[in-house]
This record gives sequence, C-alpha cells and structure tokens, in this order.
Amino acid sequence: MLSKSVLVDLTRCTGCKACQTACKQWNDLPATFPEFDNNLTFPSKTDGNTYTIVEHRVTEKDGQDVMRFAKTQCLHCLEPACVSACFAKALQKTPEGPIVYYSNLCVGCRYCMLACPFGVPKFEWDEVFPLIAKCQYCFDPNGKYDRVGHGQQPACVDTCPNGTLIFGEREDMLKEAWQRINGDAKYVKHVYGEKEAGGTNWLYISDVPFEAFGFRTNITEKPLPEYTHEYLKWTPPLIATWGGLLTLMYFYTKRRSDVAKDDSKDIGV
Amino acid sequence: MTNHFIDYQHTDVFLMIGSNSAENHPQSMRWIGKAKRNRGAKMIVADPRLTKSTVYADIFARHRPGTDIPFLLGIMKYAIENNLYHKEYVADFTNASFLVNSEFGFTEGLFSGAQDKDGKVKYDKATWQYQKDGETVKKDPTLQHPNCVFQLLKKHVSRYDIKTVSSITGVPEDVYRKVCETYAATGAPEKSGNIIYAMGITQHTTGTQNVRAIAMLQLLLGNIGKPGGGVNAQRGESNVQGSTDLAMLSHLLPGYLGVPNATKHKNLQDYIEIETPAAGYWTNKPNFMVSLLKAFYGEYATNENDFGFDWLPKVDGKNRTHMGIFQEMMEGNVKGFFAWGQNPAVGGPGANYERKAMEKLDWLVTVDLFETETAAFWHAPGVKPEDVQTECFLLPAAFSYEKQGTVTNSGRWIQWRYQAVNPPGEAKSDLWIADELFKAVKKEYQNGGKFPEPIVNMLWDYDKPGHEEPDIEKIAVEINGYEVGKEDTALASFGQLKDDGSTVCGMWIYTGYMAIDKDMNMPNCKRRSLEDSGLGSFLKYSFSWPLNRRIIYNRCAADMDGNPWDPQRALFKWDGNKWISNDVPDFSKTKTPQESGAFPFIMLPEGHGRLFASGPVDGPFPEHYEPMESPAQNIISKQQNAPCANVFKGDWAKVAKLGDSNYPIVATTHRSIEHYQSGAVTRNCPTLAEIGPYMYVSISEGLAQEKGIQPGDDVWVETVRAKIKCKASVLPVVKPVMINGKKVEIVGMPWCFGYQGIATGAIANDLVPAVGDGNTSIQESKAFLVNITKA
Amino acid sequence: MAAQKWSFKMTPVRMVMLALAALAVAIAIYRLATGLGTTTNLNDQWPWGLWIGFDVLTGVALAGGGYSTALLVHIMHINKFNVIARSAMLTSMLGYLLVMVGLFLDIGQWFNFWRPFVSWGYHSVLFEVFWCVSLYTMIQVIEFGEIATEKVAKSWHKPIKRIMPVLLILGVLLPTMHQSSLGGLYIIEVGKLHPLWWSPLIPLFFMMSSFFVGPAMVTIETTLAGKALGHHVENSILRSLVRIAGSLMVIYLALRIIDLANRSALGYVFAGGLESNMFLLEMVAGVIIPIIIAFSPWSASRSGLVTFGVLTASGVVINRMNVVFTGMYQALGPGYFPSWMEWAVTIGLVCGAVLAYLFIAENFNILGNHEEHEPA
Ligand SMILES: Nc1nc2c(c(=O)[nH]1)N[C@H]1C(S)=C(S)[C@@H](COP(=O)(O)OP(=O)(O)OC[C@H]3O[C@@H](n4cnc5c(=O)[nH]c(N)nc54)[C@H](O)[C@@H]3O)O[C@H]1N2
Ligand SMILES: Nc1nc2c(c(=O)[nH]1)N[C@H]1C(S)=C(S)[C@@H](COP(=O)(O)OP(=O)(O)OC[C@H]3O[C@@H](n4cnc5c(=O)[nH]c(N)nc54)[C@H](O)[C@@H]3O)O[C@H]1N2
Ligand code: SF4
Ligand code: SF4
Ligand code: SF4
Ligand code: SF4
Ligand code: SF4
Ligand SMILES: [Mo]
Repeated sequence: MLSKSVLVDLTRCTGCKACQTACKQWNDLPATFPEFDNNLTFPSKTDGNTYTIVEHRVTEKDGQDVMRFAKTQCLHCLEPACVSACFAKALQKTPEGPIVYYSNLCVGCRYCMLACPFGVPKFEWDEVFPLIAKCQYCFDPNGKYDRVGHGQQPACVDTCPNGTLIFGEREDMLKEAWQRINGDAKYVKHVYGEKEAGGTNWLYISDVPFEAFGFRTNITEKPLPEYTHEYLKWTPPLIATWGGLLTLMYFYTKRRSDVAKDDSKDIGV
Repeated sequence: MTNHFIDYQHTDVFLMIGSNSAENHPQSMRWIGKAKRNRGAKMIVADPRLTKSTVYADIFARHRPGTDIPFLLGIMKYAIENNLYHKEYVADFTNASFLVNSEFGFTEGLFSGAQDKDGKVKYDKATWQYQKDGETVKKDPTLQHPNCVFQLLKKHVSRYDIKTVSSITGVPEDVYRKVCETYAATGAPEKSGNIIYAMGITQHTTGTQNVRAIAMLQLLLGNIGKPGGGVNAQRGESNVQGSTDLAMLSHLLPGYLGVPNATKHKNLQDYIEIETPAAGYWTNKPNFMVSLLKAFYGEYATNENDFGFDWLPKVDGKNRTHMGIFQEMMEGNVKGFFAWGQNPAVGGPGANYERKAMEKLDWLVTVDLFETETAAFWHAPGVKPEDVQTECFLLPAAFSYEKQGTVTNSGRWIQWRYQAVNPPGEAKSDLWIADELFKAVKKEYQNGGKFPEPIVNMLWDYDKPGHEEPDIEKIAVEINGYEVGKEDTALASFGQLKDDGSTVCGMWIYTGYMAIDKDMNMPNCKRRSLEDSGLGSFLKYSFSWPLNRRIIYNRCAADMDGNPWDPQRALFKWDGNKWISNDVPDFSKTKTPQESGAFPFIMLPEGHGRLFASGPVDGPFPEHYEPMESPAQNIISKQQNAPCANVFKGDWAKVAKLGDSNYPIVATTHRSIEHYQSGAVTRNCPTLAEIGPYMYVSISEGLAQEKGIQPGDDVWVETVRAKIKCKASVLPVVKPVMINGKKVEIVGMPWCFGYQGIATGAIANDLVPAVGDGNTSIQESKAFLVNITKA
Repeated sequence: MAAQKWSFKMTPVRMVMLALAALAVAIAIYRLATGLGTTTNLNDQWPWGLWIGFDVLTGVALAGGGYSTALLVHIMHINKFNVIARSAMLTSMLGYLLVMVGLFLDIGQWFNFWRPFVSWGYHSVLFEVFWCVSLYTMIQVIEFGEIATEKVAKSWHKPIKRIMPVLLILGVLLPTMHQSSLGGLYIIEVGKLHPLWWSPLIPLFFMMSSFFVGPAMVTIETTLAGKALGHHVENSILRSLVRIAGSLMVIYLALRIIDLANRSALGYVFAGGLESNMFLLEMVAGVIIPIIIAFSPWSASRSGLVTFGVLTASGVVINRMNVVFTGMYQALGPGYFPSWMEWAVTIGLVCGAVLAYLFIAENFNILGNHEEHEPA
C-alpha cells in the first residue's frame, strides 16, 4: 500500500530547531517555559503543547566527541498500537499514512499513551479537560492545520534547511535510506522504523547508534495490534462457548440440586 | 564575503574557524552539506567548543581562544615547507615577489619602527614599504631575494612549527598535522579551499591580524577569486553588510570613503589629493566623493563651494568607536544618545559599565521594537529609578516584515523585500521616524542656529503625496545614483559617475542595484530569476555589489593565460579571442588575459594580493600575542599582548594579571541559534523564549567535578571586573586543553540574555573587558579570564 | 420483611470513614472542576497511576468474589455456599460502582465517558473492558434490585426475578471476559512490561486470579462482617471454598511457571533487584503459602482461613500493582508517586464502599438466610 513517509537522516541534522519551531507555529501550539536541561534540549520532551523536539546529544564516535541531534515525534506506525488501543476511535489511521487524532471522540483514558511503543502521545495535564497531543503529520481532516491533505509537505519537512527530512512514498524513502547506508560506511546499518513495531512511516538513519537518543531498540517487529488481536479474536468464540457452558451448567445443576434438595448432598471438590 | 553562500557547493576543503554556521548562519550549512555529498568535500572546524557545525566536520580542532594566528601561520609554514602552496598564483597574483625596504625587520615580537607611546606601541611604517625604482616596485619573480615578500613571509612563519603551534593552541600535534595536510592540499591549482570565519576571529585584540592571516593563507594556496574558495566572513545582523556599506562605522562615509580628518583635509582638494591612490580602481574616488556630496546637498553642492565639503562632519583623531563613545559618556561628555536598533546594555563589552554610563545622559531615545534592557536601563535590577535623571523616550519601530526596503546579505546580494504585515499599534518604519525627525530638526534650524548649513542645505525631498511613508524608491534611486536632471533613471554602473557635479550617488558600490533589467522590466534588486549557468551564480536573481559580481577578485579564477584552474568549475575562460564567462568579470573584458592578469586585485594600487601589508597599525604580518587576559606566557616572543591594542580607561578595562590564580579559566562568549544577538527580539517571542529559556555556562566534566558542580546547578562566573550567576551545562562541549604542558580549562557562555522579555538571564557582557583591537577597536569578547564557583 | 425502616448506627470508626469519604467527594469535585494536573501526580511518563492501578485494576479483581460465588452458587448450584452469596455479590457490586467512580474521575474528558458506546473502537481491549464492566455493573445493580425490591419498590420484584437466570448467566460471562481483558490491556505493553509479568497468557492469569481471590475476599469479608454484624458462616463452608480456590491456584502457579519457562524468562525470577523481589513476594506470599494453608489442617480454623484470605488478596493486589507499577518501571522510569489527593480519593472511596456495605447489610436481607433465587 502506498503511504507517505519522511526519511530523517540524522547525519544531516545540525540541530537548528527550525522544524520544531515550524511545528509550533503551524499548529498554533502554545509556548511553555521548560525546565533546565543539561543537554540544552528545550523543551527536553514532547508534551501536551509540543509535538516534536530536536534532541541534542554529545556522544562519541570513533573515540571522538561528536554532537548529534534527533528530531522526534509520532512515527506514524503502519499498524499503530495507539489506534488499536483507542476504544473510542479517537485515533484513526488515514489511507495516506498519517495517524490522526479526533479530539471530539476522546475520552481521555490515556490508554493510547501506554500502548504506543515509542511513548509518543502526550496529555495536556494543565487543562481542565485535557486532550491527547501528538504530531498529526500536518494532516487535518478539519482543514485548518492541513498540509499533507492538500498535497503539501509537513511544515517541519518544508522548513528543514539541510534536507535532513525528506518526504515521499515509503518505498522510495526506504530505497533512498538503504542507498545512503550502503553507499557510506559511516552509517549504522539499520533503518529505524523499517521494521520496528511492524514498520513506521517516519524512518531514521544515523551514523551513531540510535540508543544515543534513547530510541527504544528492543521493539518487536511484529505489529503491536496483532498481539492484541491474537487475544481479542478469542472473544466471540469464548462468549459463545463459555456462555453456552454457563447456561447448560445452570440448567443441569439446577435440576440436580432440585432433585437432591433434601439430601443436602453437595458436589465434592 | 568574497564569494557567496551558494558558491560553497564548489568547495573541496572548508576551514571553518571562529564561526559556528550551524547556529548563526544555518542556511549556509545546506551548501556545505551539498559540497560534502556531491564533491566529497572535507571540513575542518577550529573552535574552542564542540559546536553544532562540527556535525559536518571531518576534523575538529579544539583550540584555546585567542590562538588563531599561530593556528593559521602554522598551516602557511607547512604549505611553504612542503611545497604545497599554489606557486603560479602566488607568483602572478600576489605581492610575493615584491621587494620590501631592506631596513624592515622583526625582533622580539615587534616589527621595525616600533615606538613606545603611553605604554602602547605606535609604529613608524617607513620600513614597511616596497622598494621602488621611481614609481615601479622592485620585484624578484624567482621569489628568492631575501627581502622579497615571499622570503620574509617564509622566515616569519617558520617559527610556527607544529610543536610550537600545538603548545600555544592546545590542539594535539597529530590533529594539527592532519589539519595542515588537509588544508594545505588546497594549494593544488584545481582545488578550492574556503575559509569561513566570523566573530571567533574578529573579537580579539588581534582581530584584524587574525583576518589578515586568513587572507594570506588563502592567497598562498591560491584560493581567492575562484569558485569554492574565498575569504568568507559570514556577516552578522541580516543587513549588517548593508549598514556597513552605508557607513555604520565612525571613520567611514557611504561606500567606504574615509571620513575627512579635521586637520589633514582642509578642503576637498586636500582630501582628493591625499586620499586618491595613483593606481587601482580607487583612482575613481573623486567621482564617488563628489557624487556623494551631490546626494547630500543637491543643488547646494556646487563646484564653487567644494560641493559642500565643509559641511561634512570631520573626525578629530579621537576614538569614536563603540567603547570610545561609552567612555566619553561615562565622563559626562555625551549628553544625548540615540540607541537606534541596538541594545548595548546587553551587547556592549562591560555592559554593566555601559548601563552606568547611560545614567550620565540628559536624554536617551531608544528606537526599538521592545522595551529593551537599554530602554529600561533605569529600572535594571539594582538600579533605583529615582536616582536616574536621564529623560528617556521609546519610539516603537516596525520590524523587518512590517516595512519594505533592501537587505544586503553576507554574499553582498542586495534583495528588495516587501512588506508582509502592517506594524502593530503606533510602530513606524525606521525610515518614517528618520524622515520625521530630520524634517523637524531642519525646521528648527530654519530659524537659525549654530552652523545650520549642513542641515538646511541637506537634500531631503522624500515626501510622497498621499502616502504616510516617505518615498523609499526615490531614496533607493538616489543611493544607486542618477544623472542630474534624470532623477528617474537609475545609473547602471559607477563607471558613469563624474566628479563635476553632473551625477548624484549616495553610495557608489551599489550603483546598478536599482537600474532596470531590460528583460525582466524591474529594478535589478527585485529580480528573482532562477536561470543559471549551473555554477550557482544566479546572475538574474537580485543584485550583488559591485556591478552584480558574485565572486570578487574573480580574475584569479583563471591563470595568466585565461585558463580556469579547474575546467569543471570555470568561472571564466579565454578562448583565444574572448572571455567565456559565468560571472560579471572583475576585470576589463576587452583586455587580454595577460594584461588583466597583471593586476587582478583591482582595488589595490599595486594590483596584487597582499601577503605583506603596510595598512594595519600593528604590523605587516600577523604575529601571535596572547589575549589581554591570558593564563599563559607568550612562548613565541617576549611581547605578551598585542602591542597596539586599545585599552580603555576605568574599571571596565581592568584585566587580570598573567598567572592570576584567582582567575585561571579561559572564557569565551558565543551565540546560539535560539536567540538573536542581545535577544531583544527573540526573548520576547514566546516560541523562541521556549527553546532557549536559560542563561548558562558550558563547563567541562572535569571542572564540574573539581568544583563539585552538578549539571543544572547555579554557578557564579567571576572576573576581575564583575560576576554573574547562571546555570551550568556540563558536557564535553568544552574540555581542558594542554597549554605549554599545563592544563587550562575553557568555558563558554552565550551573551543573549538580559533582564527584559520572557526569557531572562544574566548578561555575559558584564564580564567582558573594554580592550580592543588596535585597528578597529572591536572588543576582546572571545577570550578573557574567569573563575567559576558553585552558587 | 418489615415495612420501610432505615437504620444506620454511627460508631467512631464509621465517623472517621464518613469523614474520609466526604473528603474524597470534595477532592473529586475539585478534580472534576480543575483537571487532573492539579490533583494527581500523573504525568506523560506515567499516564496511569493509583486510580487506575488500584481503584480500577485491583478493585475489579477484588470484586471478583461476586462472580466466582455466583458461578458456584447460581450456576453450579452448590447450595451450601448460599449463605455467602448475597454478601459476596453486594461487595462485588459496590466494588464495581467504586471502579466506575474511579474511572470517571480518571478520564480527562469525563463528560465524554459515553463515547465508546457509540464510537466503537472494537479493536481495543479497553473497548471490551468498557462494555463488559459497564454492562456487568448494570446487571449487578439489577441483581441487587432483586434484593432491594424485597423492601422497596416491591412491585418490581417479580419481573426482576423472572429475568434473573439471564442476568446470572451474563453476570458470570461478562466478568470472566473483562477480568481477563484487564490483563489483556497489558498485552500491548510487549517489550515494556517486564517479562516476569508480560505474557500472552496475562489475560488468563488475570482471570484465574480474579476468580480465586473471590473466596479469599469472602473469607475476609464474612469474618469482618461476622464481627461487625454478627453474621456467622461455618468454617467448613469457607474451607471448601478455600480449597476450590487453592486448587485453582495450583494450576495458576504451574501455568505461570511453565509460561515463564516457555518464554525463557525464568532467569529473571532470581535475578535480584526490584522486579525479582516483587515477583517473589507476589508468588510466595500470595500464591504458594496460601496453597499450603488451603490444603493443610490449618485451613480448618478461622485463623487459617483468614490468613489464607489476607495472603491471597494481598497477592492479587501485589500482582496488579506489579503489573501497573513494578513491571513498567524499567520502561517508564521513576517519576511517579501518587499525590496526597490521589491517596485520599482512593481511601475515601473504599471507606464509602464499606459504609455503603454496612448500610445495605443492616437494612436489607443480605446476611440472613434466604432461598436461592428462583425464576417465578
Ligand atoms: N541565531 C543567531 N544567528 C546569528 C546571530 C545571533 O545572535 N543568533 N548573530 C549574527 C551576528 S551579528 C553575527 S556577527 C554572527 C556571528 O556568528 P559567529 O561568529 O558564528 O558567532 P559566535 O557564536 O559569536 O562565534 C563563533 C564561534 O567562535 C568560537 N570562538 C570563541 N573564541 C574563539 C577563538 O578565539 N578562536 C576561534 N577560532 N573561535 C572562537 C565560539 O566558540 C563560537 O563557536 O552571527 C549572526 N547570526
Ligand atoms: N560578548 C559578546 N558581545 C558581543 C558579541 C559577541 O560575540 N560576544 N557580538 C557583537 C556583535 S558581532 C554585534 S553585531 C553586537 C550586536 O549588538 P546590538 O546591535 O546592540 O544588539 P542587537 O540585539 O542586535 O540589537 C538590535 C536591536 O534592534 C532592535 N530591532 C530589530 N529590528 C529593528 C528594526 O527594524 N528597527 C529598529 N529600530 N530596531 C530594530 C532589536 O529589538 C534590538 O533591540 O553585539 C556584540 N556583542
Ligand atoms: S508512534 Fe505511537 S502514537 Fe504514533 S502512530 Fe505509532 S503507536 Fe501511534
Ligand atoms: S485518551 Fe483518547 S485517544 Fe487515547 S485511547 Fe483514550 S480515548 Fe483514545
Ligand atoms: S508533521 Fe506537522 S505536526 Fe508532525 S512534527 Fe512535523 S510539523 Fe509537527
Ligand atoms: S530543521 Fe532539519 S536540520 Fe534543523 S533541527 Fe530540524 S531536522 Fe535538524
Ligand atoms: S536569515 Fe533567517 S532563514 Fe536565513 S539563515 Fe538566518 S534565520 Fe535562517
Ligand atoms: Mo555582528
């Protein structure tokens, strides 16, 4: 299936935060006053007011200190755990790929936050009626914040001066990613997001291990919703058999107990 | 910049020294990235801090602030001794072969002609001159004569061997050797090396000589004037290039014409005779000067009255630079002050002193977007408003998007920008404010006054009927230049300017920017055509001064016979009869390559790039001197500090003694992407305040350990002059370096914080000493001494 | 039953509980009016805390006594357990109501709580939980209606009695489903929930434990009620109940060990550290020792039964807490400890439920002898 992807090449990122700021501006997200962060990543985490941040890290490569940056946001999974977790359909996957949040349907249970393998959805804790906040891939069915739906690139991609972020069909992005990796020994031989959690629409390549940014690397390659599905698919047969069994048991034992009423005999354990 | 940003894609090796483009010129990184990907370009970053720009670096040389001259001279030595310099270029296009006065000498860190004056060296430059046969300079094309520039240079740099450079700068020898190898390799004719620099180079008592060292290295390796090369000063404020062109500096009139001196230039005749060189393009100076006077005084400027020369303000030899002015202010000699689009209460060296000085003012007018720290100096923390007698005005100004006009970028591209939104509230464009102000002043003078002529005779007719704003296009055409009587037709070239009063031109180097492009039917600076030769010159996109030339000194892009050094990147090629060109030539297209090649540096009287220059006050060659505040003895000579440095008076200029154990740590200041300059604008923008909310000091892990400092702790940063409190960021961004075998810690601070706005913080400039470069008086804000303690 | 007459004896302990419940109500109102951020210490790292962990996940499990008893009494018609049936089901109903309140307080868009009834996120385990829990609570309220209509709104008694079999069957079916689904919620935490707890079988484990905690709760409850309300249930009845539980626990224990072995996670058991220790505590104190008690002579005595009850119930509490907190700690990191208001609401809710239990027990025929429900 065709789906829109962003390839993030961390070797190109200079930490300019243009993407981060563009996201705030485009989506009318309010600014906050973040806590001090030793890495000078402000805000240091995405939150109810921030869909994306550019993490700053000083790490090591070939024994040298190096600075690297990683823009993080919702990865827009091919088979999103958050969508499968939402019991009110407030999170939905669009055919183009973006995982979109419909705030009017949201109950605020935060199961999506727990379900997402990447810890993406955040909550507006400061609000009386808080909503989930996460990157919408600049896709907005209501139109106001829509870009991708209008055939434009996401705001962050459009703003990046260094081509760190490029936007296109997932297949092409994957091809490009592997071409870069195979063409330059500096890269880690891994496209983050190709297989993680069954694959994501945001793909990362890097010349330092992804762990440097705290990317989860122990993520299963099986789509998370499948785990749930393997359990939930038992629900209908279970209802049928267990329900039937209970009914049978009810009438059978009732008769038996009626018969044996005076004996005060019971079924041994 | 001799080149321009897009041209970076043609570079083979970048040496980014004292610039952090990733934070301060982010768009330039895209072209560096392109060169790396498409050409396999290498990048060297020389910086005391591990900067964001090092993301693209192949070699990162962590050096001690204030040691760029040894770093650069060492590469020259390496290139010369290993025969890696560009021999043809050096011989043909530079003054390497010129013979210098045989009396010229250099001992104990000082050049010949040194005279002691009030504890400061003043040079008699007599021995720094070329040997001449009548009017012609004596040369030795073999470069063997002991007194030719090349041999003098070779001797001078020979002291900067790898080991010495390493122990001064703290760059490990193996890393430095790699730097030398990598960069000197651009001496190959077909290779282009690009030196990108900015404030890490200039803000030193040796700032001018630092820049000189860059220019010399580029000449030596044949890197000036060709694609992918250049001496690329990445400039500051979006339009600082424009404002420098338009005479922001105290010693210059528009177009880099010197301000007349009250004693030296009694009249226009004097000025022209003394200031016009015998050769080179500056021989046209009288045309430029007279046209400028016509622009100032219009019909009142006549041949009879020296075109109003007497009405020009004159300099008196005193220091009228930033620090000079504030010193006068502190002494009570400055009564009123316009802080027009500047915020010295945060950005000035010894900012606490500058704020104190402002208390001596009778009046202060701030023209700004926000109530900056400068506008609010009278209610700064610790200041009692009732004790300040200064009458303060704040005129709200429109921001760049709220008005139209041109901006000149680092690459000298003059681009017209249109207004996007209306200014809020009562805010007005600067032009409107200036216009109204001048008209009001003029009106006052019309009733008489002391010396009213410069005011009442000023050509000032920018009213546009039916419009509130002055006629900005009219002003633009006046700057561009026109023929008297043809006010509507902007001249195409400064070659058309005359010294007889028949032309008017506010700034000669811009001539042509408002001229109409016949094909596109619009002024050149409004063009936006993406048509290109493939070299990225984009000759029909905006207008680049001078004369739409994208790379200056571009005669050097081809050899004596007109063959490009690298056919793949041919800016020009002589096909035997004519030039094939991809840029506007910096030479006469009608002359043969040999003729134009004989004088490729057309702005210089000798027409050759100067490996040896008598211009600077502090020596014809750069020489390493320690910063005014330094933890290290100068090991290269007995002269500890820059001999001609400008040291101001008072507490703000106090410096720690060499080896003062109370201040053992070297500090530098820097910018960050989140904030612009003093932060006046960005700290008032919620989204930007959010991404850069804290003032901090970067300290090494070792220093943190030694001082018991945890990441995020509040710390005191203290100098012999002042102390400030901020957060500590503990990362290997900074690390100690080994200087003469001794470990020296380095710390870095952004200087964008103040007490106004959404994000506030301590002012780094409270710590910076009032000492400046001998040539320019730029402050030494990149290297001074501090101590750090846990707060 | 006598004509309507309500009685509620105030004792100092009840006064304190009432005060605590009142405080919880006040905080609840404050929370609904000002948001979650003002009241709880929940954050983006720890979106679920005490309220979900204890009030909901643990609450539902502990209320499991209702459906296990219902299964034994009403479905399997093991009549000797009749004496405990009403009390167990009442506790269960109150437990579920408490869970509903807890949930309601915990969701950010509380006015939107009904959404999933119309906007069907059927691929979510939570969807199943939501439907089952709300339906089951409703059913329990109707079931309770059978008891209530003995005293009030008597005309409803007959119709309710008529539908009781359906209700009773659903009343076992639904909790079986959602007890397991509560565990199912954590299947998606694969890779995040520590392998000591994460398992594809976690729904089964949740279901089994909710079942065997029923007898444990009944034991505790009847003992307490016995003291407070003079309601006595014979030890032998409780003992056979405990043995049913014990048998199940043996299977449970075996399954968990086999499961760990299957997933090569046995190594974590004795690896030391927070997770291992908490796991051992949960299994040894909450499962193994109770099994031993159940099948030892000690379970013939009240003290043995109560010890079994307390240990088993604690074991389940610890299990749920381990799943919600201990097991997620490595993935989510430190950064959450319930605020005093969260504690106060939790404690207050429990107090409220106890008071409600007491009130109902004192005013309706809960503990006395009664016939098994018959369809008329
Ligand atoms: N985001 C942003 N962009 C800006 C500005 C801004 O404030 N914010 N300001 C604009 C202006 S006006 C200017 S002038 C430019 C300045 O642009 P830059 O010169 O790039 O700015 P700085 O960060 O001040 O200094 C550059 C680097 O010099 C290093 N340095 C310090 N001491 C030394 C030294 O002794 N030698 C060498 N080689 N390096 C040293 C610092 O660590 C720093 O990384 O940026 C312009 N662009
Ligand atoms: N320690 C240390 N100090 C430094 C430096 C350093 O590297 N280290 N760098 C130095 C350098 S390179 C520079 S350029 C100076 C800069 O020093 P300043 O020029 O004093 O600082 P800015 O913050 O750029 O001040 C510009 C002011 O103009 C206002 N402004 C913006 N747009 C407009 C407009 O359109 N009209 C008007 N009227 N006002 C406007 C802004 O709000 C701001 O208050 O600082 C210097 N100070
Ligand atoms: S990254 Fe998380 S929030 Fe984004 S689509 Fe995947 S599961 Fe959903
Ligand atoms: S918080 Fe909202 S979006 Fe997330 S799972 Fe719950 S209802 Fe769905
Ligand atoms: S895609 Fe849009 S919403 Fe997502 S991070 Fe980029 S700008 Fe923000
Ligand atoms: S805009 Fe591009 S280069 Fe800048 S921080 Fe974002 S991803 Fe990196
Ligand atoms: S002028 Fe603006 S767009 Fe250009 S590099 Fe600076 S911040 Fe970026
Ligand atoms: Mo600047």
